Amino acid sequence: MRERGWVRALQSRIVSQSLVVASDVQRRAQTMRWVARAIALLIVVAVVARAVAVSLTEGYPLTFWASQLVNGLVLGGVYALVALGYTLVYGILLMINFAHGEVMMIGGVAGFFALQLAQALGWMSGPAGLVALALLAVMGVGMIGAMLTGVTLERIAYRPLRNAPRLVPLISAIGASLFLQYSVLLIFGVSPLVYQRPALISGGFRIGPVFIPYTGLIIFLTSLALMGALFVIVQRTRLGRAMRAVAADRDAAALMGVDVNQIITFTFLLGSALAGAAGVMLGFHNSVIKFNSGFIPGLKAFTAAVMGGIGNIPGAMVGALVLGIAESIGPSALGIPAEYKDIIAFVLLVLVLIFRPQGLLGEALAEKKV
Amino acid sequence: MTATTRRDPRGIHIGLIGFGILAYLTLIGLPGRFGEAAPFVMAIVTAVIVALALRGEAQRHPPATVMRQALIAGAVCGALTAALVGIFAALLGNGVRVQPVLDKITPPNVAAWYGAPVLAVARGQLGAFDFLRPFLVVLLGGVAGGALAIALHRAASRTRDERAPAWTRWAVIALPFVLLLAVVVLGQPAVTIGGANKGTIRLLLAMLAIAAGLFAMRAANPGREQSAVAIALLAGLAALPFMLDQFQNAVMGIVFIFVMMGLGLNIVVGYAGLLDLGYVAFFAIGAYAYAFLSAPFSSPWFSQQLAAWGLPTDQPLLSFWQAIPVVMILAAIGGILLGTPVLRLRGDYLAIVTLGFGEIIRLFMLNLADLTNGPRGLLNLAPPTLFGYNLGNPRDIFILALLGTAVIAFVAFRLERSRIGRAWVAIREDEDAAQAMGVDLVRIKLMAFAIGATFAGVAGQLYAARQVNIFPDNFSLFVSIDALALIIVGGMGSIPGVVLGAITLKGLPEVLRGVDEYRIVLFAALLVVMMIVRPEGLLPSERRRMELHGEAEAAPEQAS
Repeated sequence: MRERGWVRALQSRIVSQSLVVASDVQRRAQTMRWVARAIALLIVVAVVARAVAVSLTEGYPLTFWASQLVNGLVLGGVYALVALGYTLVYGILLMINFAHGEVMMIGGVAGFFALQLAQALGWMSGPAGLVALALLAVMGVGMIGAMLTGVTLERIAYRPLRNAPRLVPLISAIGASLFLQYSVLLIFGVSPLVYQRPALISGGFRIGPVFIPYTGLIIFLTSLALMGALFVIVQRTRLGRAMRAVAADRDAAALMGVDVNQIITFTFLLGSALAGAAGVMLGFHNSVIKFNSGFIPGLKAFTAAVMGGIGNIPGAMVGALVLGIAESIGPSALGIPAEYKDIIAFVLLVLVLIFRPQGLLGEALAEKKV
Repeated sequence: MTATTRRDPRGIHIGLIGFGILAYLTLIGLPGRFGEAAPFVMAIVTAVIVALALRGEAQRHPPATVMRQALIAGAVCGALTAALVGIFAALLGNGVRVQPVLDKITPPNVAAWYGAPVLAVARGQLGAFDFLRPFLVVLLGGVAGGALAIALHRAASRTRDERAPAWTRWAVIALPFVLLLAVVVLGQPAVTIGGANKGTIRLLLAMLAIAAGLFAMRAANPGREQSAVAIALLAGLAALPFMLDQFQNAVMGIVFIFVMMGLGLNIVVGYAGLLDLGYVAFFAIGAYAYAFLSAPFSSPWFSQQLAAWGLPTDQPLLSFWQAIPVVMILAAIGGILLGTPVLRLRGDYLAIVTLGFGEIIRLFMLNLADLTNGPRGLLNLAPPTLFGYNLGNPRDIFILALLGTAVIAFVAFRLERSRIGRAWVAIREDEDAAQAMGVDLVRIKLMAFAIGATFAGVAGQLYAARQVNIFPDNFSLFVSIDALALIIVGGMGSIPGVVLGAITLKGLPEVLRGVDEYRIVLFAALLVVMMIVRPEGLLPSERRRMELHGEAEAAPEQAS
């Protein structure tokens, strides 16, 4: 009897102790959150102040800002297409497809060959309608090339590891990314593959004093169209519903008769197709594609996906546009050399992850996702 | 799967996969590397692919079925390969220049497939039979692969129940010493081996000796036997720098600098489970810190500041030894500074953010030209000295790297078994559970970053002293990838694994000349294959093996 009383006393002590600890932890978390918000506010104020000061002292004309904004939107369109691939895969597999940027690059390479063929057949110098069709075909080939790459990648490098601890597929993805990059380097050599723009889409037009290149306009509009198509597929079709079901709960979806493997393959197909389109458009915009063309844009697109809230489709688009604009306006607005524009993306990524890990549009994620 | 044997779709499937691999190898120019031996090598490659693919079939089906599948696989693969190579040969023979697009499709590379002279391909003088040769080569390889699969299955079922006899253990323990002896014997000028390059073979033997030593340590019984073996091995290792020549020592030096770095990354990734892809940042901090301290004159801004303070700028501020603590402190501060913002991130996010940090550091090194002299680099760093002796030659750098490795390995070994080490393992396994058990996450994670960074910093200092001149390009993302790859291949969380990984990934490519071009592709493929086949690495720590195999038991059910 006495022993039991002793045990009970100890139990109640432990319970009360842990309650104290729990409330203490909660209070600390609350204060930490306020501190974080205050710091975030300070950073925002500092950045804005700096931008205002620089723009007042440097006195760039308004057209300069406008054309930078156009650049940013174009860049954002490309990032958005790639970011959607990250978000789709992450939503379903909870893994970062580190090699997604390379899928985009390979789409660009495949598009290059289609373009060469179209040029050899003389389609690129024909009437405007033919050229437009040929350009669509080039993009289609790029998308198919990227789709093949993406699906093969999933099959070889990710599927056997689906139940492994989380670091394992990530390392495999890093390996796959390097493998694809350096295979392209070995196969196609160091010299970049040059995209020759047909006359139809070279040049541009002016809105007032702001010059808008045709490729930029096309990229932006195509990105919007493809994103709309994706949205319809995910929200309105049976496959899309199955995708959302697998993302919500893979096991439950399987029990409801969804073929999980098929859905995952389909997800990779969709994401890779968008990336392939982005690769071809990037090729036309930058005029070149080479083995590492996908790496940095891939990282940026990932940043965009995280900024928008990973797993969230509209979030990826918003994040990508914000990132694209921040990157093209940032260096001049903050008065830092343009070489540092890559830093802006990474700093933004770190800031978002620290202060708003669920992203700009994201719902509060469960702990396991962060 | 049993009902499909009649139409043999598996053979066709394997043939297609084999064709994919052979086409890839042709496109990256491998046949050309082997010259006349190429058909033979390609047949072996085919045989290995087919044997691996049919390994499971050999268990379930009679040999005749397996051989038929191998034949079909070989025929499909051979026909497609011969067609592809034939197209290339026809293009080249008709004067089409393929190379601007497909870089490696050159006459020597294609000719290697036919075992024909280069000119025959370049001038389009191949006969009809020649075009059949790749087909026959691959077909033979496929059939050999089927036989190999059956033989492997037979051998496996025969030895399954036998336990290794006791003498094999002693053989494993004796092996490193035999290899060392071979290094010494081959070092005698009187000993020659045909026309082979003796230096390369000695280097290879030395590396194999170290690797064998690691396995010998595993084979020895714990206790007195293990200590005796350890002491003997350490004595052998200490003697190694005096047995090797300049080039060999230089290679071993870089291998062991990477071991030092790998041991640091092993703490961050292997023990604490924090995947850091920007680890090169700390290596670079160490190297640049030492560069500023020992060659202040090559940094414009730094030398200006020194001059303003009235200090001399034309000589090292601190000697190599005095710089060590400064470098360690700077690297640790770097580790804490870069670690603090990412404390809350896990897994994949951490990897990407640290990757970003690595790139940021490199961008700073390139663009802060006032401080780092930009791409022109920092030049004329002072070598380490001891009592007036210059220790900058490859042999002494190797000795220093060995000493550094010994100290770091000892510290890491003790840390692993300390309270901190257990806390690291706890947060690796389950961060929430660890926190609930009272592990101070912030402190423990920062400890991992700081200690890992310190080790990398010292490695970077030694690297800088070895290189004499350092440039931002020395600290690219690939240093991080190399370091990560070597601890993964060796076995995460395992100290001997780091050494084995460094020898495999940094050492062997030096021996296998001509592989350099393929090094990264090889690494990358190795990373993927390792993750699928043996995620715990070649020399895993006990704990890691249990962790990964506990989960792997459940996985095959779903995969098949």
